[in-house]
Amino acid sequence: MKYIKPFISEIPWKYSWYYSAMSLFESQSENRQSGEPERCLQANNREFNTLFGYPNNTIKTSKYNVLNFLPLNLFEQFQRLANAYFLILLFLQLIPQISSLAWYTTVIPLMVVLSITAVKDAIDDLKRHQNDNQVNNRSVLVLTNGRMKEDKWMNIQVGDIVKVENNQSVTADMLLLSSSEPYSLTYIETAELDGETNLKVKQAISVTSDMENNLKLLSAFDGEVRCESPNNKLDKFAGILTYKGKNYILDHDKLLLRGCVIRNTDWCYGLVIYTGPDTKLMQNCGKSTFKRTHIDHLMNVLVLWIFLFLGSMCFILAVGHGIWENKKGYYFQNFLPWKEYVSSSVVSAILMFWSYFIILNTVVPISLYVSVEIIRLGNSYYINWDRKMFYAPKNTPAQARTTTLNEELGQVKYVFSDKTGTLTQNIMIFKKCSINGTLYGDVYDKNGQRVEVSEKTEKVDFSYNKLADPKFSFYDKTLVEAVKRGDGRVHLFFLSLSLCHTVMSEEKVEGELVYQAQSPDEGALVTAARNFGFAFRSRTSETITVVEMGETKVYQLLAILDFDNVRKRMSVIVRTPEDRVMLFCKGADTIVCQLLHPSCRSLGDVTMEHLDDFAIEGLRTLMVAYRELDNAFFQAWSKKHSEVCLSLEDRENKISNVSEEIEKDLMLLGATAIEDKLQDGVLETIITLNKAKIKMWTLTGDKQETAVNIAYACNIFEDEMDEIFIVEGKDDETIWQELRSARAKMKPESLLESDPVNSYLTMKPKMPFKIPEEVPNGNYGLVINGYSLAYALEGNLELELLRTACMCKAVICCRMTPLQKAQVVELVKRYKKVVTLAIGDGANDVSMIKAAHIGIGISGQEGMQAMLNSDYAFCQFHYLRRLLLVHGRWSYNRMCKFLSYFFYKNFVFTLVHFWYAFFSGFSAQTVYDTWFITFYNLVYTSLPVLGLSLFDQDVNETWSLRFPELYEPGQHNLYFNKKEFIALETTYWTMISHFFIWGSLGFYFCVLFFLYSDGLCLMFPNVFQFLGVARNILKLPQLWLSLVLSVVLCMLPVIGYQFLKPLFWPVSVDKVIDRIHHCMRHPLPPPIRTKVKHASSRRSAYAFSHKQGFGALITSGKTMKGKPKKSSLLKK
Amino acid sequence: MKRTPQDCPSRLPENTAVKQQQLPACRLQLSATGILSGFFATGVFCLGMGVILILSAKSSMEIEINYTKICASCAKLRENARNFDKECTCSIPFHLTQTMRGNVYMYYKLYGFYQNLHGYLLSRSNSQLLGTDVKDVETCAPFSKSHDGTPIAPCGAIANSLFNDTIILSYKLNSSVHIQVPMLRSGITWWTDKYIKFRNPSSSNLSSAFAGTTKPPSWPKPVYELDENDPGNNGFLNDDFIVWMRTAAFPTFKKLYRRLSRTQHFIEGLPAGNYSFNVSYNFPVTRFQGEKSVVLSTLTWSGGHSLFLGLAYTVTGAMTWLAAFSMMAVHLKLKGKRFSPDDKVKL
Repeated sequence: MKYIKPFISEIPWKYSWYYSAMSLFESQSENRQSGEPERCLQANNREFNTLFGYPNNTIKTSKYNVLNFLPLNLFEQFQRLANAYFLILLFLQLIPQISSLAWYTTVIPLMVVLSITAVKDAIDDLKRHQNDNQVNNRSVLVLTNGRMKEDKWMNIQVGDIVKVENNQSVTADMLLLSSSEPYSLTYIETAELDGETNLKVKQAISVTSDMENNLKLLSAFDGEVRCESPNNKLDKFAGILTYKGKNYILDHDKLLLRGCVIRNTDWCYGLVIYTGPDTKLMQNCGKSTFKRTHIDHLMNVLVLWIFLFLGSMCFILAVGHGIWENKKGYYFQNFLPWKEYVSSSVVSAILMFWSYFIILNTVVPISLYVSVEIIRLGNSYYINWDRKMFYAPKNTPAQARTTTLNEELGQVKYVFSDKTGTLTQNIMIFKKCSINGTLYGDVYDKNGQRVEVSEKTEKVDFSYNKLADPKFSFYDKTLVEAVKRGDGRVHLFFLSLSLCHTVMSEEKVEGELVYQAQSPDEGALVTAARNFGFAFRSRTSETITVVEMGETKVYQLLAILDFDNVRKRMSVIVRTPEDRVMLFCKGADTIVCQLLHPSCRSLGDVTMEHLDDFAIEGLRTLMVAYRELDNAFFQAWSKKHSEVCLSLEDRENKISNVSEEIEKDLMLLGATAIEDKLQDGVLETIITLNKAKIKMWTLTGDKQETAVNIAYACNIFEDEMDEIFIVEGKDDETIWQELRSARAKMKPESLLESDPVNSYLTMKPKMPFKIPEEVPNGNYGLVINGYSLAYALEGNLELELLRTACMCKAVICCRMTPLQKAQVVELVKRYKKVVTLAIGDGANDVSMIKAAHIGIGISGQEGMQAMLNSDYAFCQFHYLRRLLLVHGRWSYNRMCKFLSYFFYKNFVFTLVHFWYAFFSGFSAQTVYDTWFITFYNLVYTSLPVLGLSLFDQDVNETWSLRFPELYEPGQHNLYFNKKEFIALETTYWTMISHFFIWGSLGFYFCVLFFLYSDGLCLMFPNVFQFLGVARNILKLPQLWLSLVLSVVLCMLPVIGYQFLKPLFWPVSVDKVIDRIHHCMRHPLPPPIRTKVKHASSRRSAYAFSHKQGFGALITSGKTMKGKPKKSSLLKK
Repeated sequence: MKRTPQDCPSRLPENTAVKQQQLPACRLQLSATGILSGFFATGVFCLGMGVILILSAKSSMEIEINYTKICASCAKLRENARNFDKECTCSIPFHLTQTMRGNVYMYYKLYGFYQNLHGYLLSRSNSQLLGTDVKDVETCAPFSKSHDGTPIAPCGAIANSLFNDTIILSYKLNSSVHIQVPMLRSGITWWTDKYIKFRNPSSSNLSSAFAGTTKPPSWPKPVYELDENDPGNNGFLNDDFIVWMRTAAFPTFKKLYRRLSRTQHFIEGLPAGNYSFNVSYNFPVTRFQGEKSVVLSTLTWSGGHSLFLGLAYTVTGAMTWLAAFSMMAVHLKLKGKRFSPDDKVKL
């Protein structure tokens, strides 16, 4: 991953409100920016521009250099509690009065831990350095002294004019001056930034575009730009170009951002505005908030508790020492006189406190953080390596982008899912249509029985049409027959589909059309028209070329009345080759119905029936209509329209009013039905997640009916549900009533004052509190729309909402703004002590992905903003099942085992010293020799722990997928919490585990004999003083007998507890494990078959998934002086 | 512009056992019968081991005589450091009812003497004891140098506090004849200590080797005169000194003092009869409420007379059996409940 963070160059309408809402937060970050109030620069005038001290175009993403690496890195590392503690310890050890351990016992582990981290940091930073160097040394053409000269990227300065050629990356944020294309359009691809492969268009203002590639003009260009200071808003830019005494307004459509790649444009010139660190790209990559897991938090709390524990142990021992010195030590002075600085037993006790503080240091887990990081890294790699999460069609493996959240994957309780592109593929398939009252698209067999479409069903043969898209398939032959027959209405229907859209086409090879559509719906419709013989071939700003049944016709494009959220329809007005003026309109049925001519009423009724049928099948529908216009009427309207278009105030409103004047008395042609395909395996995944007691909330921007429909289709809502509550109130009071009545049904007692939650809430606790899980009396679902949600998320209602919603098995929120998505996630996060997971694929999901504990990005159709902001990314929704139930569960179990093991071994090790203090006069004498203390954590015990936590599997993946119930303990955090340290057991003995455990043990003996050997002792008699101990002790039978007895005594109670626990306190998991063992011994029962349910008779809706199209852009060419050299504007 | 998968190499992760978490492994799976039989087997083992250890410990004999109170007058005398040059002996008669067969070892045992204090343990110089540098007393505070600055040899608190009672065991052959039981003072140290860790400084004779050093303050004689009878048992290589320098881990400890020389009357061991210990009382313990005793003991393969390990094994074995039985009972009683018919249907 490069230094790229979210980048959105063109914000579709759908997201614009989100960004305006977000600006609230961003305004704060803006204040952070340098004091530069406004940027001022002049083209081709370096002297002037240097006055402002703008940085050059060098970027630096690396953190360290050779000189500052050591101090900076160490400083960062010592900010960690455990590391800092050890530093303090080291200083304490240097004080001879209290030093109770040799200095190397702390220095060596500390050095090892620090250097592991430092090496990791250094490698990371080295990579960043290389990356930076590579980027900074790329070359680009700069205009100097009237000619183009090649220069390195890093030498580019503000105010330079730069030439970027086709397929080159943009050097810095620059103002587009001119390009090789007509109207100075420039196509850019942002794939490197956000993964979107569709082209985006930028356009220069006319005054600069006239300069074209005339170097004389360009070097004479001395325009002055005043614009806002550098900021991180990708979709906003405001500035003024002053040139030859005139002011021109600049917006972000004229700005080429660093990181884009120029496509389909031979060359373009740009004036550099922001360089290096000031570019929007660099301004956006910065502080990403670190997500911390519950275990992380728990670990910190535990470390604090351990400190307290340590302190109290030291205190007890110090007091003990004081008493001992008073009673015994004082009289023992013949043999061991007090040191001269010890005046009384109290002084001695105070010193002893610190001595013990040093000795008992092993209780504080220094290598804990490093080990945890290694384990998490390992478990993240397992996700990256998983072949079962690799999506071959896109050649994309799953990716753990964050390595710190693994174990939380095993604790998820709430899943917040986007709908479009996540549950559904966002691939639209033209399924059915109703033309002039006839329904097409159903397939009947010879007996007239309707049959299900399957792989085997014979497809319609489109070979008569050379332009047909081979990927398109349709099964109803009657429609083709109607087309071939020359049915006028059918022809008109498809003609309107091929004209009324904002799709752009590309034809690289003759006859191979590639459509660029803003929404997949539109693409599907145009493709359908194309296959049936009405192929949209190309467009200019004034014409649309359509190949109608093999005959090329050019329609003059008179106007596009583009789609927006309120109008829910779009129209085009064209002049046909026969010189008729026609308006074609398509839109949501509810809207179009009202615009129909009264004569269409009966046809409308039939069509509405068909629409009902479509809706039952969960298809997305649009109505298509046309109107023939009187030339004079159109001329008059056109004049009014262009006036309105130029008006400055309230323009959008006025345009929509004018549009309404012409979009009426429409003649109904029919309706289209498009299937929104579910992703593979969605159904099974959701069933599994349900079984794992994971609650599924769908947060979507779509309409309620569509969302509910999809929810049924993928089993989020089940037909067997007791009731689905719908909250659609428009004010506080109604919503409150609705929520209360829903709760009254689900759990009447929760409304009583005696309910524990209620009585708790009435106490009005000021501290942040958590609402416990409330169990309803059945299976319920809740649907709430964005409008009501806006109220429900306020003040008192939010608790009502939360309590009601959390009782439901599934919740659907529709018409959501991206900000609301995040708010909902935040709400659950705030009041519920659970782990939340958000999964989505689009830019509108970014906020929720960031808000949730775990964010998952689907790298799918809608680009990669979501993925770039996510913690985990993969291609298919159904990988979620594997991620949670297999990887998540293992990670959680492993982490818990690891922590228990880790704390266990440290406690055991240290408590021996506490015990021994009572026999050694509390004199801070250690039981072990110093080298053993030094190596214990680092060498002897680290590998077995790591082995356990990297390779252990309590049950294998097949079983954890078959029995989702196994997932539950994680949700309740049963295996590792403050109360319980689970008993240890390695359940999965791989070769590596064996190697680690026995190897460590063997290694221990090797080191032992080495350290206690003659040679070392003779060389350093005062350091290695345990000469011969190993030899003399290990040959005693008592030693081995005690060893065996200790092992037996340690193991038996644990095994017994493990044996009895499921018998006395059975948890559901134990039952499942029982079953698994049972299954292993007996032949496997056939896997649970999931029946794909068919939609029952649910009234559903007419969806309109549509973004604002290229309409404005297409027509914008009209107002400009066109370049005659290329006739087809977008035919590239 | 869209890259086709053929353009770039496949990113399909490798299919190795480690990466796919498919390492062959033996899964630890304990069935109820497995666990229970394991418990029973462990119980049998522990009980058996315990009985063997107890029998073996019983077969050894041990006599301990605490002479702190018996020699109270001497103890009183020693409480005052000024009486260091006054001799004080004390005789403790005792009766041995049974012959102690085999090798008999004589120990002295101290109660409440803290050889494990941190400061005490540090106060020694291993390099001095190695004989390489007699004057290396750096680590020996507070007993590194005498008042006039002469380095002490052997330096340090451990050496200074050397146990210096002399204990002689005599056997009452009949009412009038007492004979001294022959005891060996060699072979009571670890081989590694005697031959590697402790060396006398090399010189023609010992007293010149220790020239320039002085005796520890509590010692009556310098280190090269520790054993008047055996010149080879002097300096740092004195067996009693080496034994003392191997410090005890607990405040109550016994250290090997002498072993029986099996000659004449004592070929079989110590015959039953009347004996007495003649103690030349030098080591003061009453000041710090300590006690002293002398121990005679025979050894077996499993150590001395201590029953601890045997009892621990026996108790563990018994507990294991008890646990195994109760677990079996619980298992049989609750097993039916766990596999209720409903569950089986679900299977």
